[in-house]
Amino acid sequence: MPQFLMNKRLIILLVSIIVLVALIGFSLRERSKLSWPEQFVKDTTGWVQSLVSKPTNFVAGFVENIQDLNNTYEENKELKSRIENLASLESQVQGLKKDNKELRDVLGEKKTLRDYEPLPATVIGRNPDRWHEMIIIDKGKLNGIEKNMAVVTAKGLIGKVKSVTQFSSTVQLLSSMDPKNRISAIIQGKEDEYGLVEGYDKEKKLLMVKAIPSGAKIEKGQTVITSGLGDVFPKGLMIGKVVEVKQDQYGLNLTALVKPGADFYDIKTVMVTKRTMAQAVDQDVTDGKEEE
Amino acid sequence: MKKFLLPLFFLFLFILESLFVQYIPNGLFGANRIIAPHFLFVGLLFLTIYVGKRQGLIYSAIFGILFDIVYVEIIGIYFFLYPFIAYLASKLMNIMQTNILIAFLVSLFGIALLEIGVYEMDFLIHVTDLDFMSFLDLRFYPTLILNSIFIIVTGYPLKRLFEKHAESLRDE
Repeated sequence: MPQFLMNKRLIILLVSIIVLVALIGFSLRERSKLSWPEQFVKDTTGWVQSLVSKPTNFVAGFVENIQDLNNTYEENKELKSRIENLASLESQVQGLKKDNKELRDVLGEKKTLRDYEPLPATVIGRNPDRWHEMIIIDKGKLNGIEKNMAVVTAKGLIGKVKSVTQFSSTVQLLSSMDPKNRISAIIQGKEDEYGLVEGYDKEKKLLMVKAIPSGAKIEKGQTVITSGLGDVFPKGLMIGKVVEVKQDQYGLNLTALVKPGADFYDIKTVMVTKRTMAQAVDQDVTDGKEEE
Repeated sequence: MKKFLLPLFFLFLFILESLFVQYIPNGLFGANRIIAPHFLFVGLLFLTIYVGKRQGLIYSAIFGILFDIVYVEIIGIYFFLYPFIAYLASKLMNIMQTNILIAFLVSLFGIALLEIGVYEMDFLIHVTDLDFMSFLDLRFYPTLILNSIFIIVTGYPLKRLFEKHAESLRDE
């Protein structure tokens, strides 16, 4: 035993394993914000990353533009055929918007769960280890970003804000596995069905929407959007389209496999959504305190 | 100025990894394959092999914790594995001759250890639920291929750079 304790290397190894477990335990627990050394390091590297990512973004964009030139003719043809439909759709939307506004005025209801303020941001980094699918964006607390806000691209929801520092923040993508990462969703059909986006099938590249009541009628091709219930997500953000419906493990609920609308790779710019309704509630509370 | 050259070089590799996954199209090796670059770690292993154990371990620890804080947000995984594998590599080099082929093999071995180590840890803390065989097929082999290409391309320049650095250390 004394011999065993004399071995310096073994002791260093054991001590470092204990430190490792302690550190992992520390960082895995539910944290509302990062500790200040972590914030400092993240901000500093974030600054360097944004310095580097701007010129690379420019070069990558240039290369992409050249590639785009190759199939301009085909695309033009297709887009022209689509634009004809677009004009009629636009007039419809205008009409509906006006109707909606009038009806809302009658009800005296100004804000809905749907309203949000988009905060555009540029992607400055991505986790190279690829077990934890995360991207780093160049907007932080000073720009009004908070934890758990929904992050979207033009095509749909991609994830939520995992942590915020002063000048940058980290976005956890929907494709990363995290049991705590649940998003309330609506499957749009004749009747809306509610479910939770939970987990990602890496091999099929499909999102799993779980906890759908077993009587629900869900068909292939139906659209899945966020419900805006519970957390700080606004309502109506596109998640994807249903590909397959199956019974869950115990046969009590249904699980829908959903093809995500957004591409989880090749993300350059994103939009962080700030729900206006939640903010309004917050303001009311603070106003009330001031009056007292 | 020369003092800052090495940290800056490693910082460049550190950011290069992130840029690589951001811009290289997904599915380079087939649709579902995942390739993870370990350019920074290749640099660290070459530093350990050509400059020395002490330098290698210090740089591995610093860049390991930087990697954990900035990219992974779970402190400990790379902070432990980078120096640990760098230490093993330096032990291996004690019994082998230092030449470019051996350096290539040792760093490839180091990357393999790193991948398996990170997989086991992530499996323990439920970051992934991939079973071992599909991990090998989907991620392990493509990653090794990518990184061996990287070592073949940059191995000789890296060797030159670190040998120069070791010489200037000796001169001081």
